[in-house]
Amino acid sequence: MIKLSRRTVLKGILGGAGVTVGLPALEAMYNGNATALADGTGLPKRFGIFYWGNGVIPEKWVPNGTGSGDAWTLNEQMMPLESLKEHLTVVSGMAVLTGNVIPHGSGAAGILSGAAMSERAGPEDFIFSRPSIDQIIAQEIGKDTRFKSLETGARPSQGLSYNNGTGSVNPPESSPIRLFRRIFNEEFVMPGAEPILNPKIAFRRSVLDAVMNDSNRLRAKLSASDKVRLDQHFDGVRALEQRLERLSLNPPSLAACVMPAQPGEDPPDVEGRPQLHEIQSAITDVLRMALACDQTRVFSNYFSYPVNNVLYPGVSAGHHQLTHDEPGEQPQVNMIVKQIMTELAFFLNQLKEVEEGDGTLLDSCAILCTSDVCFGRTHTIDNYPIIIAGSGGGELKQNYHYKSVSNESVGKVSLSLVNAMGLNHAEFGAGEGRVTQSLSEIEV
Amino acid sequence: MVALATSGCMAKGASAPAPIDVPDPTVDPAEPVLHRLTAAQYRNSVHDLFGEDIVIPGPLEPDSALGGLIATGASKVTISSWGVEQYERAAYEIAAQAMAEENRGKFISCTPAAAVDENCAGQTISELGRKIWRRPLDPEEVASLTAISSTVTRALGTFEAGMEFAVASMLQSPNFLFRVELGEPDPANSGARRYSSYEMATRLSYFFWNTTPDSTLLAAAESGALLESEGIAAEARRLLDSPRARAGMRNFFSEMFELYLLDEMVKDPTLFTHFSAELGESAREETLNMLERLVFDDQGDYRDIFTTNRTYVDRRLAAIYNVRAASREGFGEVMLTENDHRRGLLGHVSVLALNAHSVSSSATLRGKFVRTVLLCGEIPPPPVNVNTALPEPSGTAVTLRDRVKEHLTNPNCATCHLAMDPIGLGLENFDGIGRFREKEFGAMIDASSDVDGEEFTNAWELGAVLRDHPDVPRCLARTLYRYAIGNVEVPGEQEQIDSLAAVFANSKYRVRPLLEAIAVSKGFRRAKEPQL
Repeated sequence: MIKLSRRTVLKGILGGAGVTVGLPALEAMYNGNATALADGTGLPKRFGIFYWGNGVIPEKWVPNGTGSGDAWTLNEQMMPLESLKEHLTVVSGMAVLTGNVIPHGSGAAGILSGAAMSERAGPEDFIFSRPSIDQIIAQEIGKDTRFKSLETGARPSQGLSYNNGTGSVNPPESSPIRLFRRIFNEEFVMPGAEPILNPKIAFRRSVLDAVMNDSNRLRAKLSASDKVRLDQHFDGVRALEQRLERLSLNPPSLAACVMPAQPGEDPPDVEGRPQLHEIQSAITDVLRMALACDQTRVFSNYFSYPVNNVLYPGVSAGHHQLTHDEPGEQPQVNMIVKQIMTELAFFLNQLKEVEEGDGTLLDSCAILCTSDVCFGRTHTIDNYPIIIAGSGGGELKQNYHYKSVSNESVGKVSLSLVNAMGLNHAEFGAGEGRVTQSLSEIEV
Repeated sequence: MVALATSGCMAKGASAPAPIDVPDPTVDPAEPVLHRLTAAQYRNSVHDLFGEDIVIPGPLEPDSALGGLIATGASKVTISSWGVEQYERAAYEIAAQAMAEENRGKFISCTPAAAVDENCAGQTISELGRKIWRRPLDPEEVASLTAISSTVTRALGTFEAGMEFAVASMLQSPNFLFRVELGEPDPANSGARRYSSYEMATRLSYFFWNTTPDSTLLAAAESGALLESEGIAAEARRLLDSPRARAGMRNFFSEMFELYLLDEMVKDPTLFTHFSAELGESAREETLNMLERLVFDDQGDYRDIFTTNRTYVDRRLAAIYNVRAASREGFGEVMLTENDHRRGLLGHVSVLALNAHSVSSSATLRGKFVRTVLLCGEIPPPPVNVNTALPEPSGTAVTLRDRVKEHLTNPNCATCHLAMDPIGLGLENFDGIGRFREKEFGAMIDASSDVDGEEFTNAWELGAVLRDHPDVPRCLARTLYRYAIGNVEVPGEQEQIDSLAAVFANSKYRVRPLLEAIAVSKGFRRAKEPQL
């Protein structure tokens, strides 16, 4: 549990941060849950993705036994998650059914968007043809927060958070200090604190209005596909404009919200090996407060990216190279997967440390933990690796292993997640990946 | 039909032994598409608009490649919510610097009569806007920006403060961040569509200089000269005569050979003691230097990139090549001999290290680079459910050549690996960062192999074989054409590429005539009607 005097924190951040003026609270902007949040009821639901590249080794991955509680036990690669087992649902035996044309890409697009890659994508270009699940959910539950969604990663990459079918991605922030400055800057208002009024903010809003006007005038002349691309830009401009507007509102009080410590400079590589743990935990320190302070309700964290060739400590080659070249039982690949699961456990524990209402931040989250292939060596996309951490505020089962015996579409899991966030969608995905039924077995 | 204006290069081609007949191609181009400025284009454009000393805060929305080029990827990317924040911050920081006391005189050509002077504001916005948006602003646009500046000026008290917000607005607009080239009906060809004179200025400028049009180019646009082959050819020559074309072509080759990836190259420093964080930059400079000299100073045959003995090294590279550095500081020219075992592009650290693993060489990755990037061959992705494990080095399989034998004998693998590995095996005398070696794990390396049946015994000979490979010139023509139009060509552009390849052959494979031919080509000047 994090304890910091709110009064001290407030003094620190509000001192000199523009003109502060008292305004009546406008709680309507926050779904009317401002007062409810203070006593822990009606906490927002949060959706997250924890992603890693290059898959698993299936026979060391799939848990033993099925069902709930003691009926199932973790296999070797998931052992680092043992102390968190009561917060996990594992799904195995389900498949990406949208084809396997682009190694590492088809699986990523299949699990996250429920569809095949765009036809424009070459063998090494990733372009989703439909939005990824985080953006589908953010479209609803991200509407009222300062950031519709946040994307982070322990390594620089383009990420896999797709807005629509044109290749428009939301790039992840891989620098802890930059992430901190993006969220906890002079525009951040501590929940319960008085809002900031700065005349320049009004002018910035006028400028953004003018930019949106430029966009509207241009739009009429564009091809249908360029309209979609321009709309993406327009949505970003409008989101920024709304964010500035909200600065003059009084945010609801959230007891769990404290200003995180400012991270230091980004940890440098050591002997050609990135300090993944240091980077990821610094990012998580900021990200969990972005959630607790209700700056966002949707995140995607790419611990590593498809086809990444990161050199892990103690191994003889890059991750992707090893998945293909290492013979036999692949002891080095196995060690890397276990290291990634250790990082996932650390990540989940960091969320669990934040007490909120009667539970923890982790309880209100549903976090899809997955990769771009099942077995890295052969690029398989059946028996897909899927962990769901957190119950999404009580909507999803915990301590449960569901094993499909009929190669069901992974889209069913996605539809369960979408609906656990309160979206009430009737279908997910497209083409062979389209499903109209969720995976009721994992739902409460 | 507009004739292909290749008179300049045809004249030179006439001295060639057997000039190929270049028929006027039939071109059915793609519909126009927005290009988001690449990060390099954004930075270059801001520096050209406001001054070299303007500090641009980073990061900007990242680039993404498509069809092998970032210029082409610009046709698919858009701007994320995160990107909007970055561009907003950058816009205000740039505008504040432009309107700082020491700079503002360059951009405000009138003296405001009072803090709020809408005439002077409108005039400044019209003049600056034409440069920033690469076209004249219409009265409504000027009025809207003037209104912003007046509101700000009233509140903050100064003319410059208002102008700062107007400039920041222009820099955040899709009219700046995207290259808006929509085309217009072509009066000379009913039903066809051509790029407008201003749009041609933008296309030429980003193609040759990778930046926003200069005032001469905008004046040519205004006069309508860029609607005619003669006018385009004249501006193309002017742009290519400028030293700035060198920076433009460096950007092209950096994209084509993915040399920008050298900044993130990771090598295990415990295995490669010559590796350092700065090696990538040195390696890129060597390659771009070689290409720049060949294209601009020597006006040489492009195919000589495979066989040239001349290269440019600093002390870092000299240590890897085991040659004497020509100068203590920076880069100096060296002439390689057969005793150095390397020559041409495929002997460069850039290509050898980038197309290798972080702990070892890779015949497959190097062969793939040659096949796909230099020869424009297609390699399908590996099939699913194939065991890709390589055997560990053993008594019977010591070298990589022994270990990848499976690739070339197992029919599941051989279909594709035969197109890559034999070429890469010719470079096995170079380790994962490009240092020469005779042996691997104590066994002599056999670097003999063949490219599509043409045999060679080592890397030195491989260069000569590739120089004469028939796919090399056409591949450059196709890649340059993609770069120019910022798109992967559609089937209706194949004849155009064939025609450009023929022009290239007639000019003895000199790059400049090819560049000039692209500038006046139909494919570069025409668009399909957009499907609204």
